[in-house]
Amino acid sequence: MTEKQYDVVVVGSGIAGAVLAKVLTQAGKEVLMLEAGLTAGMALKPEEDYENYQSYLQRFYETTIKATNTPYPEIKDAPSISVLEIQPQTPYETGYMVQLGPLPFGSDCLRAPGGTTLHWLGNVPRMLPNDFQMKTLYDQGVDWPICYDDLMRYYEMAENEIGVAGDVDSQQGPDMSRSNYGPDYVFPMDKIPQSYQDQVWIKSTNGLDVSLYGKTYTVNCISMPQGRNSTPNNDYRYADTVWDPASQSLNLITTDKNYEVVGATWNSYTGERCEGNASCVPICPVQAKYNALKTLKKADESKLDIITKAVASRVLIEPGGTDVAGIMYKAYTDPDSIEYTPHIAKGKIYVLACSAIENAKLLLASNVANSSDQVGRNLMDHLVLLTWGLLPEKGYPYRGPGCTTYIPTFRDGEFRKDFAAWISPIDNWGWSWPTFAPGSDVTNAVINNAMFGKDLRSHLNADVPRQTLLHFECEQAPCADNRITISEKYKDHLDNYRPVIEYDASDYMRKSFKAAKHVSDQIFAANNIEDHTIYSPTEADYVTWDGQGYTFRGAGHIVGTHRMGSSASESVVDKNQRTWDHQNLYLVGCGNMPTLGTSNPTLTMTAMTYQAAESILKQLESNN
Amino acid sequence: MNAIIQQRQGRKRHKRKTHDKCYKKCGTISSVKDLRRHLQTAIEIEHATLPPYLTALYSIKEGTNAFSYQTIQSVAMEEMLHMILACNILNAIGGHPAINKKRFVPSYPGYLPHSNNSFIVGLGKFSPEAIDTFLEIELPAQAGAPAQPDHWDTIGQFYEAIEYALCHFDLVTEGGIFTGDKSYQLDENDYYGGGGKLFKVYNLPRAIVAIQEILSQGEGMSDSIFDSDEMFGEEIDIAHYYKFNEIKEGRRYTLNGTPEKPPCGEKVDVDYDEVYNMAPNPSIKNYPEGSPLWQQTNEFNKTYMALLDSIHDAVNGNPDELKRAVPLMFDIKYKAIALMKTPYKDGMTAGPSFEFVK
Amino acid sequence: MTNSTEHFDTFLAISAWLTGYEPVELQGTGMVQTYYSTLRENITAIDLDAFFAESDFILAKAQTDVDAAKVRTASHLMQNSSFNSLGKQIILMWYIGQWFADPSGDPNNSVQINAQSYVEALMWPTADTHPPGAKEPGFGSWAVKPVSVDTFNVTL
Ligand SMILES: Cc1cc2nc3c(=O)[nH]c(=O)nc-3n(C[C@H](O)[C@H](O)[C@H](O)COP(=O)(O)OP(=O)(O)OC[C@H]3O[C@@H](n4cnc5c(N)ncnc54)[C@H](O)[C@@H]3O)c2cc1C
Ligand code: SF4
Repeated sequence: MTEKQYDVVVVGSGIAGAVLAKVLTQAGKEVLMLEAGLTAGMALKPEEDYENYQSYLQRFYETTIKATNTPYPEIKDAPSISVLEIQPQTPYETGYMVQLGPLPFGSDCLRAPGGTTLHWLGNVPRMLPNDFQMKTLYDQGVDWPICYDDLMRYYEMAENEIGVAGDVDSQQGPDMSRSNYGPDYVFPMDKIPQSYQDQVWIKSTNGLDVSLYGKTYTVNCISMPQGRNSTPNNDYRYADTVWDPASQSLNLITTDKNYEVVGATWNSYTGERCEGNASCVPICPVQAKYNALKTLKKADESKLDIITKAVASRVLIEPGGTDVAGIMYKAYTDPDSIEYTPHIAKGKIYVLACSAIENAKLLLASNVANSSDQVGRNLMDHLVLLTWGLLPEKGYPYRGPGCTTYIPTFRDGEFRKDFAAWISPIDNWGWSWPTFAPGSDVTNAVINNAMFGKDLRSHLNADVPRQTLLHFECEQAPCADNRITISEKYKDHLDNYRPVIEYDASDYMRKSFKAAKHVSDQIFAANNIEDHTIYSPTEADYVTWDGQGYTFRGAGHIVGTHRMGSSASESVVDKNQRTWDHQNLYLVGCGNMPTLGTSNPTLTMTAMTYQAAESILKQLESNN
Repeated sequence: MNAIIQQRQGRKRHKRKTHDKCYKKCGTISSVKDLRRHLQTAIEIEHATLPPYLTALYSIKEGTNAFSYQTIQSVAMEEMLHMILACNILNAIGGHPAINKKRFVPSYPGYLPHSNNSFIVGLGKFSPEAIDTFLEIELPAQAGAPAQPDHWDTIGQFYEAIEYALCHFDLVTEGGIFTGDKSYQLDENDYYGGGGKLFKVYNLPRAIVAIQEILSQGEGMSDSIFDSDEMFGEEIDIAHYYKFNEIKEGRRYTLNGTPEKPPCGEKVDVDYDEVYNMAPNPSIKNYPEGSPLWQQTNEFNKTYMALLDSIHDAVNGNPDELKRAVPLMFDIKYKAIALMKTPYKDGMTAGPSFEFVK
Repeated sequence: MTNSTEHFDTFLAISAWLTGYEPVELQGTGMVQTYYSTLRENITAIDLDAFFAESDFILAKAQTDVDAAKVRTASHLMQNSSFNSLGKQIILMWYIGQWFADPSGDPNNSVQINAQSYVEALMWPTADTHPPGAKEPGFGSWAVKPVSVDTFNVTL
């Protein structure tokens, strides 16, 4: 059907795909985007966009059990992973993912226009310089083929595009200070105000000394940089990232105007500030939170063709050669029907931006880019240990964005030789994640304790506003056996492969749970927080270490399945994110990350995507 | 900003303003003190439109009348902007906006402050009558209509008088009249969620741009249905009068729309039945003291007062107070809607009364 | 036979008694009619008649002797055996916005009544907050105490 030969074919409209579409079309390139999700989600006309988004919101309200993917349509022809499918006992094949275990992989992503940023939280701290050299410094995992300094300018582009609100000067911690950002750098917007609860925490936590294996660490609490709208920073002067053909580079151009806050895709005045809906995951009703559709809207429409309901199924290789010849996609009309028509999309360069799991699947299904045998391997996530309790006073949780303050103290240190580092966001949403509060508090009081009337009301009012929750998001180290494979046995509705997962948490991880809980105990004690943490052997991802049990949860940070490296034998893509095996095939997304660090991955991945875009533009222009 | 000011000053009507002409046109505005009094009135007028707009807005049931809801909301947002812009002008000439005083709070039904008393404004649910009233409020001045410092026919004519007085007194006063403390000014970072821009006012050109922005968003630029937002780097938007006319006619204007012709674009759904059936002009006096509805109304009024207190402080030297006003603004919405869901009498519901309480 | 409005007033009054919210607060949610209909769809008229008869009795008692009314509620409305847990179902409906088919048997067997029942669930104001994704409190509101707590005391 598509006869046209494009400069670039991009598969996927998440943040990685959207950044490419924007940068490449603005640089004058003809781009075809394939997207597996439904057309309505593409949000091209304001009124339909508004209606479609309202339907997401309505679905969220109406659904009894609310999970990250709840607001968005379930599509049999392009299924999304759902966290509700996760079960404690492996192996099982009841969900979209086939989980071989020994532990179930607990994260999801979203197949819809805009991708997973529709339901991401939006925390965007940068990685630390040491994160790029885990092998050299700590004898763990691998080093990256690039270092922090190489990424600096691309970080700035990513922060401009996402619209980061934050305070650079407060970003202080191990391996992190003003110098990570450069002397005058500021974020586009002022920090998101830290929550009332944070302030309660900070009183007894900031400056607290905690001991761990004979060493003392001084804990500090700092504001979280995030991709949601706040007050523009008057000192921020970058307007946009622009391709400069003369220097063959992407550059941030400056302006004398203030940063222009990007509101909802359907109405720019909606969502000009975060309004504290406290539902960023799974849906920001006003789109104050960044999502990839905002970027896609800025692409040069005249150069961009988008085909929705198009599920990329195979990367085709030139017979007898190594160049990619096209991408075969299956176009469906009815999202639940098994019928489809196959088509081939053609371009000079191809980019897969389908997220770590789908990218790996697609490569494996096509048997491409895998001379290193690394495709699908090194699947990583942050393993999130939660600890929760009751504050001695009301902190008034369930308000504001999910996290406005974090503890950077254990993001780096010599201990990384021994156990995983972590970042500790202080959570603003009470016990909702571990216990489904406050609904469970109500059922408990009413069903089990037969409470009613004013007693019930004042009991709930006394307790729920004191709920508090701390995260320990532990950096999973790469492991070749944590992997995605495919099998003829497991196919979806359109005869595409389903992801088959093998997954475990190594001792390096389990040791960090013990350390984290030990730190948590000391912080709770200093704050007089009554610990209510329970890890139950019946839960998914319950593990033991040193005689103690811990439950970890997935963070949604799906990383590592087609890693970047400095040699073709050990990695799938080179430092420009081009596959070693095919000169016209690039991969973008978190799958490229060789190690995870302790930051939420999307900012770093977006920075890398700018770098990839630059390489692609150079390659296109050098071929001309 | 500078570019905008230059562009504005380039506009014909301000170019040839001479000392004499200004004085004549500002009519009864006889001194700077008097001018400040008129600006205080301007603030009161802007504010007086808000309770009626908000009441109609909040009476629309969730998820219905999307077009009308967004339209009225956008107008209300801009009226708030105008109110703060007027405060900036008053502060710029050394005045002190008084927002939380008893006489600041209008009573409904009633006339708009200092108007020619030709139409009554009340608090009512979203209805054809409410829209007719809104059209009266936003009625554009006839071309060439005189400036009117008192008993104005249109808000435009009232502002015209203020504008001339600003020019006049700035010219004749040694050192000018724009001597107010600049730290009292609110700026673009303090306003969001609607068209137009908030900016600091510290000289005559900026004051004129502010008034032009207020007028063009309200009634349209003299001969067009469009407002000036485009010049402010915002999206093209039509002026309030024409926005309300779209609701009245159930049709959008097209890009070729003109003031003379009714809108002839796309149809929009307007459903006056998907509205809470609020009894007109709610008042706490309707309920026995201490009764449940009295209490709910009292709480609403107290929140409204807390909001006015915050805004008052924000425009009197504590700009940061505006941040504290935000949660109150959202809260009065939820309280108003709760009242409009609560039965009152004859199948009608209670509603927000926007009254002064201590 | 129960006609469609019979017991409506008792329903509101017993809802207030069971939830600890004033009738006017419950009315302010706009959910009274919806929840009343939900009851009528799920519970037979005969059972409703009996439940509301007991409710009237308790409400009358509460006028003169609150403590006795509480004791009677505990023993006659809040036992699993009382009216098949209907008292609990009503409280859960108001607090969570879901209909629990069998609260004392399988507490996971519940359905969201509709979108508004999520938005208006009483557990949110009870917890001094708002439902995630609705009734947003505005930029920066989370940096200070909730308006309801800070501006003036809510009537409990
Ligand atoms: C609950 C949750 C919270 C998170 N919070 C954060 C956070 O706070 N900070 C952070 O940094 N990260 C966070 N993440 C991670 C973040 O969302 C992802 O890293 C990021 O969105 C990935 O972007 P992407 O463009 O690579 O992939 P995606 O956004 O997943 O987009 C992939 C796109 O490809 C399309 N696609 C997939 N398969 C095909 C196919 N075969 N053919 C055609 N199209 C296809 C999909 O429909 C989709 O549009 C979170 C994730 C989750 C789940
Ligand atoms: S807190 Fe609310 S408004 Fe803010 S980003 Fe999250 S969902 Fe959006």
